[in-house]
Amino acid sequence: MSRPKWWRIALALLAVTAIAGACGGDDDASDGAGTDGGGESAGPTIRIRGQEFSENMTLAEVYGQYLAARGFDVEILTPAGFRTEALDALENGQVDLVIDYIGGQQTALDPDSETSSDPDEVVSVIEPLLEEKGLTLLEPSEANSGDALVVRGDSEAEKISDLAGLDYTFGGASECYERPQCYLGFTDPEVYGITFADTRTIEFGPQLGDNLAAEQVDVVMWGTTAPQIEEHGFKILEDDKGLFPAQNVAPIIRTEVLEAHEGLAEALDELSAEISTDDLVEWNRATDIDKREPDDVAKEWLESRGLL
Amino acid sequence: MTPGGGHSAAVLAQAAARRDIGVFEWLFDPASWTGPAGILRSLGDTATLCAAVIAAAVAIAVPLGAVLAHLRRGEVLATWAVTVGRAVPTFAVAGLLVPIALRRGWGAEPVPIFTALLLLALPPIFLNTYTAVRAADPAAVDAARAIGMRERAVLLRVELPLAATTVLDGVRVAAVQVVATEPIRAFLGGDGLGRYVRDGLGQNNDGLVVAGALLIATFAAATGLAFTAVGRALPEGVRRSGARRPRTERKERT
Repeated sequence: MSRPKWWRIALALLAVTAIAGACGGDDDASDGAGTDGGGESAGPTIRIRGQEFSENMTLAEVYGQYLAARGFDVEILTPAGFRTEALDALENGQVDLVIDYIGGQQTALDPDSETSSDPDEVVSVIEPLLEEKGLTLLEPSEANSGDALVVRGDSEAEKISDLAGLDYTFGGASECYERPQCYLGFTDPEVYGITFADTRTIEFGPQLGDNLAAEQVDVVMWGTTAPQIEEHGFKILEDDKGLFPAQNVAPIIRTEVLEAHEGLAEALDELSAEISTDDLVEWNRATDIDKREPDDVAKEWLESRGLL
Repeated sequence: MTPGGGHSAAVLAQAAARRDIGVFEWLFDPASWTGPAGILRSLGDTATLCAAVIAAAVAIAVPLGAVLAHLRRGEVLATWAVTVGRAVPTFAVAGLLVPIALRRGWGAEPVPIFTALLLLALPPIFLNTYTAVRAADPAAVDAARAIGMRERAVLLRVELPLAATTVLDGVRVAAVQVVATEPIRAFLGGDGLGRYVRDGLGQNNDGLVVAGALLIATFAAATGLAFTAVGRALPEGVRRSGARRPRTERKERT
């Protein structure tokens, strides 16, 4: 079982290293010549890299394949690390473009600042901080991959406030219990003021859904784009007091690369406007439940929207 | 301030330890030991599950190993216990069982973690029992038969007492392994002593991780020492006739 998989990873690594080497050479040449295969693009290769979870890998493939189809010189690198690694790679110039989530960026760049469920407010905090690093935040998509408080379909609650009188058992990952935008916010009398009958610590991921379905807990802290939510017929409670930070998908690019390519910002904005939260759920279902490859899922979605 | 910024100290204390807390500062704080998330409660949870697992493993593996060894059967099973049995991936077994148990309405605990730990505990106990009964002094066994003991009595009154020290050794090894492995249950929807490592990892709290690891290691070591003490307290005859008996003693007696 595992051997072919390792071989595939090893081969993929080899291939990427080879391509990276070749493109490095290309890069120098095209800088002087000012031409390459593409239509509107004349600048340096745009290196895009996903983070190591399926949703972000698919996002990187969607943006990468789309830009390539629009004639930009794009290289999609092997996904690596998470937000910290992505920011590091952007700053030291190993990567030019990443797709990230704005609320997460705010927590990473300015942990003490006030979070908000309004994307515009989050953008106003992180935009100048990214600028200082020579990075540009492009227009966020409406697709929001954020926190979600999830209950079974037959629950009488519709919004988080409704939980106050229900004496539910709460399930969440350990980090939730010390975060103001999570358990502390739910129980804080000044925010939601909910009293839970009991709490259970459950690893983030499908275990949350399994425990909720088996009525081990009545409400779990999960994410808006978990494909299992629909699978199980669960529902997401409305965050009626705006506790959860906005986690809209947004491209972050090295400013010098952005400026070197005419029409790049417009192209990225057009794509971001096409993506919705439902699309993310759909992709995650394809990669996590149907076990399909992110590049395949990305290609199919782009084709279905006529973007390839 | 953040929306939840005004939370009271009481809410925080119930939910999580301070992120920069020192290992010993946390361990020596009486508040860490009491309450539903306290060390005493967690220790109790861990000890209960481990005791149940070891009791079940002894109840299965000792009779099985003893009877098979007495009958000179089950070589394959013994070999299997050495090789395959020790390679069972406990975490994977428990992790795979959790969704199944939940779907069947058994709950996240204790069936998956109990089964996984039982599989971990069976091989050393079975193997030691099997080997020790099989290696019981043939002279003693022959003598027992010569004075007219039934096979059942040969096993229960001669072979097993001779094997007792080695059997107990197997139980000790199994118990230490079970206690040291039980904390994985904190990652499978349960609590117990592993909860501090889990919470420390999730909350980026190194003090909590180290303190939790210390608690687990201490409890595992204490378990080992407790079984050694039990071994020392065995009746003199059983102890001296055990596998560790020096050869010279037999000469003196005969």
